[in-house]
Amino acid sequence: MDREHRIAAFVDGELEPAESAAFEAELRRDPALAAAVERQSRLRARLAAAYAPVLEEPVPPRLTAAASAANDAGPARFGLPQWAAMAACLAAGVLLGQAALPGPGPVMVEDGRILARGELARTLDGGLTADSAPLRVGLSFRSREGGYCRTFTSSGDGLAGLACRRGDRWETRTLTAWAPAPGPAYRTAGSDTPPEILAAVDGLIAGEPLDQAGERAARARGWRP
Amino acid sequence: MDSIRRQIVEFLPRLRRLARALARDPADADDLVQLTVERALARGAQWSPGTRLDSWMFKIMKNAWIDETRARSRQGRIFVGDEAGQAVGFDGGGAMQARLEAAEVERAMARLPQDQRLAVALVLVEGLSYKEAARLLEIPEGTLTSRLVRGRAALLAQLEEVA
Repeated sequence: MDREHRIAAFVDGELEPAESAAFEAELRRDPALAAAVERQSRLRARLAAAYAPVLEEPVPPRLTAAASAANDAGPARFGLPQWAAMAACLAAGVLLGQAALPGPGPVMVEDGRILARGELARTLDGGLTADSAPLRVGLSFRSREGGYCRTFTSSGDGLAGLACRRGDRWETRTLTAWAPAPGPAYRTAGSDTPPEILAAVDGLIAGEPLDQAGERAARARGWRP
Repeated sequence: MDSIRRQIVEFLPRLRRLARALARDPADADDLVQLTVERALARGAQWSPGTRLDSWMFKIMKNAWIDETRARSRQGRIFVGDEAGQAVGFDGGGAMQARLEAAEVERAMARLPQDQRLAVALVLVEGLSYKEAARLLEIPEGTLTSRLVRGRAALLAQLEEVA
């Protein structure tokens, strides 16, 4: 593998553990290599951050209708059942558009913002990194926009995400499907966080993640910047 | 709604994200999503519940995008509506900055050749592994990684130039 391929594979998490360890050792010895990795990591984070907001946009009703209408019986000849199905699905589309996720889940949509609620909001408010499952906070950090952000995983909801404090609420910036990796329970903070969330963190973080003392201090101030 | 339809509805946000990375113009991207959904439903019998829907649908989208791009170039239409779809309203300064940065990324992506754009979109935007992406694109992993390396270099050249 040439240098560019190895850098890419490292940044993309595609090296075997032993190769990865060897590469990290090289990184410490070779500032030029470290700079190249940094550049590629930033690119990856930037791409992820550029397209992540699409996931949070309301899905246009025509797409929800296309997926759910009983329209595979042939070209459009609107019989009653088809209309009924379309109407039902349009209603579902509107609902999805307004609520993004139906039911009393961990998030809600308000004024186009996806806000944490219930147990998730309480965990983000009060939990410290590495608190126990099923809801875990991964990393806490200050964002370049000035506020605090935290990553979380929820095995109960099958979700992982990144939320930032805005006013007295937690606004979800990235949300993705997630399932805990099987295996031993020893984990460092964030080690179980999916790559797209980590990429979003990379795109947003100012400096280093908070340690526990930093988290406690931020929590004591109500996560106000 | 039966199982496949429900799963497709749940998968729509990710289909839209991949489509946006490929087609840039939001209306074109949503057309691509619609075409993908219609093709997937027409071939629903090929998909068995319990197997992964995401790779299957991404592959349908890849093929639909390639078909669509060919059809459009035959008609002499410019595929990418330049500067289209930029007028998204945001409030805070941070959000505006993020939106501007995203627009630069979109512009740079739109200039990548089709094969590099697909590789970058699947691995760097959608987070697929090399193995998954290579299988989906029906190319060897070495070909995929070469496209990724070239795509990355081209993106960096553009993005660092404007920065």
